[in-house]
Amino acid sequence: MSKTDIQIAICGSAGDGTIAAGDILRNAVAAAGYRVIGFDVYPPEIRGFGKCISRLRITTDQSYSLKRHSDVLLSLDDSQALPHAGEVRDMGALIFESQPIAPCLEGEHMSARVLPGQIPYGFPMRELSQQATGGGRSRNLVALGIIAGLLGLLPDPFRKIIARKFGKQGPEIVARSLAGFQAGFEDASRTFKLDDVVFAPIGPREPSGRVIMLSGNAAVARGCLDAELDTFFGYPITPATSIMERLATELPKRGRRLLQTEDEIAAIAATIGAGYAGARAATATSGPGLALMSEMLGLATITETPCVVFVSQRGGPSTGMPTKTEQSDLNAALYGSPGDGQRIVIAPTNVEGCYRCAGKAFEMAERYQTPVIVLLDLYLSNRYETVTLEESGHAFVLDANKPLPRLEPGETYRRYALTEDGVSPRAVPGDADHMHVITGLEHNELGRPDDSESMHAAMSRKRHDKLQAALCHPDFAVTRRFGASGRVKVGLLAWGSTFGECLEAVFMAQALDIPCAALKVVMLSPFPAQAVAAFMDDCDQVLVPEVNYEGQFAQLVQGVLARPVTRLSRVPGSPMPVEQILDEIRRLARG
Amino acid sequence: MSIPIKPVFVDEKLREVQESGRLAYRSHALPTWCPGCGYFAIVEGVTHACNAMNIPRDQAVVVSGIGCSSRFPFFVDLYGFHTLHGRALPVATGIKTANDHLTVLAVGGDGDGFAIGGGHIAHAAKRNVDITYILFDNGIYGLTKGQTSPTSAVGLRTSTSPFDNPERPLNPLLMLLSYGVSWLGQAYAGRPDHLRAMIAAAIAHRGFSYLHILSPCVTFDKTSRTYVNLGLQVRDLPPGHDPTDLMAAMQLARDTDHPALGLFYHQTRPTLGDTFDEIVARAKAKSAPVTD
Repeated sequence: MSKTDIQIAICGSAGDGTIAAGDILRNAVAAAGYRVIGFDVYPPEIRGFGKCISRLRITTDQSYSLKRHSDVLLSLDDSQALPHAGEVRDMGALIFESQPIAPCLEGEHMSARVLPGQIPYGFPMRELSQQATGGGRSRNLVALGIIAGLLGLLPDPFRKIIARKFGKQGPEIVARSLAGFQAGFEDASRTFKLDDVVFAPIGPREPSGRVIMLSGNAAVARGCLDAELDTFFGYPITPATSIMERLATELPKRGRRLLQTEDEIAAIAATIGAGYAGARAATATSGPGLALMSEMLGLATITETPCVVFVSQRGGPSTGMPTKTEQSDLNAALYGSPGDGQRIVIAPTNVEGCYRCAGKAFEMAERYQTPVIVLLDLYLSNRYETVTLEESGHAFVLDANKPLPRLEPGETYRRYALTEDGVSPRAVPGDADHMHVITGLEHNELGRPDDSESMHAAMSRKRHDKLQAALCHPDFAVTRRFGASGRVKVGLLAWGSTFGECLEAVFMAQALDIPCAALKVVMLSPFPAQAVAAFMDDCDQVLVPEVNYEGQFAQLVQGVLARPVTRLSRVPGSPMPVEQILDEIRRLARG
Repeated sequence: MSIPIKPVFVDEKLREVQESGRLAYRSHALPTWCPGCGYFAIVEGVTHACNAMNIPRDQAVVVSGIGCSSRFPFFVDLYGFHTLHGRALPVATGIKTANDHLTVLAVGGDGDGFAIGGGHIAHAAKRNVDITYILFDNGIYGLTKGQTSPTSAVGLRTSTSPFDNPERPLNPLLMLLSYGVSWLGQAYAGRPDHLRAMIAAAIAHRGFSYLHILSPCVTFDKTSRTYVNLGLQVRDLPPGHDPTDLMAAMQLARDTDHPALGLFYHQTRPTLGDTFDEIVARAKAKSAPVTD
């Protein structure tokens, strides 16, 4: 059976319904059984003249990144889409408005930008919308109908998704949207097909688990819910907001609580307060919010209070590029805090990983009594993937928060007892036997202020050592190797969302007979030095691709292991192109 | 107003204290404050109030920020969290959100509350989170050894305002009233009996209660807010003051030359916990399967 691998891009201006069209399309093809990875690019403004692009790659088996070239580009606004005409591959299709609302110069119309080899399709989308619905607002749905009609996709999944998406707005809107879709579908069905872009039929799927479409942030929210999160405190910030929005709907259904606080300082403070009082608590933010939280993270470290912080990175520094992706908050996540801010930092690499890391973060926070940062980025937060979830939900093991046994007569409760593994018995308010006061001051085993040399050394060691166990945390791979086994010419060290592009590049390099492998590093603090060193032992050359300017992960690796690596640090505001990584692999392989 | 002076004998006082039961609420840690500090009266007031109200020790949490006053949690035998400068209120909000059954007190000074932590007070008051905020106002930064605070008087000379403080002090009571606080009172560290009654009333209020306690800093302010000056300035609430009248409370709060002691204002309205419960009920009603 042949395999499907089609990438579709829809491009328009903010307000054109570009992102909505992409959403319907990816859900419709996922409902038809295909695997999808999708990523939207949009401006920081709500309306106006910003560019929106919704890209999705539709495949038979799950892919790991988007492709550089799309098979189909649909333009809802030529002024935005013109620069992207070149991203359509040879024999791919360019779909555009054949009857623009106002006369325009030749060079400003998509028809003038079609490259030799590309197949132009002009449709009167505005007119079709006007005829079918009495207005031009359903142009994006006409466009969807055109895509379905041209590519021979069955219309039923589209109709279902459209009815569901617009159901809340009433039957009139649903009818109008369906009419728009139908008009586009019929018009495109009458024209010549795009026979170079073919959807291979999907065979029956494996019976276990179920496939659903989730964004990275939705997967995080789901992980929180499956880990039985009690309370969530947050302050809206792009691109983390949708985690909070989803939990705001879902937590109260389960009898749980969510509070929008006055700022990120209050969000993390309340999270720590709730954790101290024995609740499972979390917050979510982006780089600017993480900066505000850094002092509080130090408080969680020194008081050994469990808390989970989801950080979705965006372009920085300062307000930077709120709707562009970047991996430049690694240093802030690792070190941002007064003093030695020991903490756990994990970074998922795909949507399924977002779910798993979310649940595991609570396991770790409670078991090791520590703040845990789950580092995402805009690309991962906002990208959609079809993921397979077990029917029963993941069984996270959350057994660390349990009442302490009664004290023996004459025994004194020591909140920060220096134990062998560094983890001390933790009581919460309401326990008459284990009353104590905790403080952000350095303290002794009883929790009382103590800044003696020996105590500070002992407590610093305790807070550092107890985290080392996280490197062997049950049912959690802190690193994982992909690609060729044994000795390789080029080895990639990759973290976060860029890992998907790295993996695709490794597969392409292997197809070119370059012995190549990639090590996915999920745990960034404590740093899995042994596993990374062992991998590097197998590599002639080590390449570290990441989307930041300074090469923050490369610095971390070099700082710990003191070995040479080649950096591939780029800040395009978008995912690193696979071809760029491949070019670097080939360059290194040539020696 | 004249203060009646009667002799106090140490052994009588000691017996009275021991028999009162309030020592159960005192920890064994000695306060780190200077001799004569007004804050001793506040420790006494809190232990008195907890004892009188029979609050189980393990069911109460004292949350503080940073400053002289914020060392408070170490001196009482309750659960305690000594947090960061200015952040007692959001931490306390998290604790109360996690466990409604706890009695949560937030304590701190004027710098902690109205300078670095000023942004949180409005929201705690607006949400009506059911905690008691006891603010120790001595008009100076004591722990960092005598700098100007948001409530320092104009003209106060400190180490950071060697040419005298040019800024007008904030009016915390007016601020709190306009934020929508649901219980507001004022007390003076030099009047311990009144103080302890006010602390008990503040704790008893269901919702966000704010108790402003005037206190001298005997070490770093020898001129402005001394026991002598404060003693001459403070006055009782005017007779017939209606504590449900917001405008009357605001009028009272405007008189900073003669701070009134007592309950300025109170109001009954849903707490943050109540609104959480309502949201949960609405969410569950909405998501409940429809049966016919």
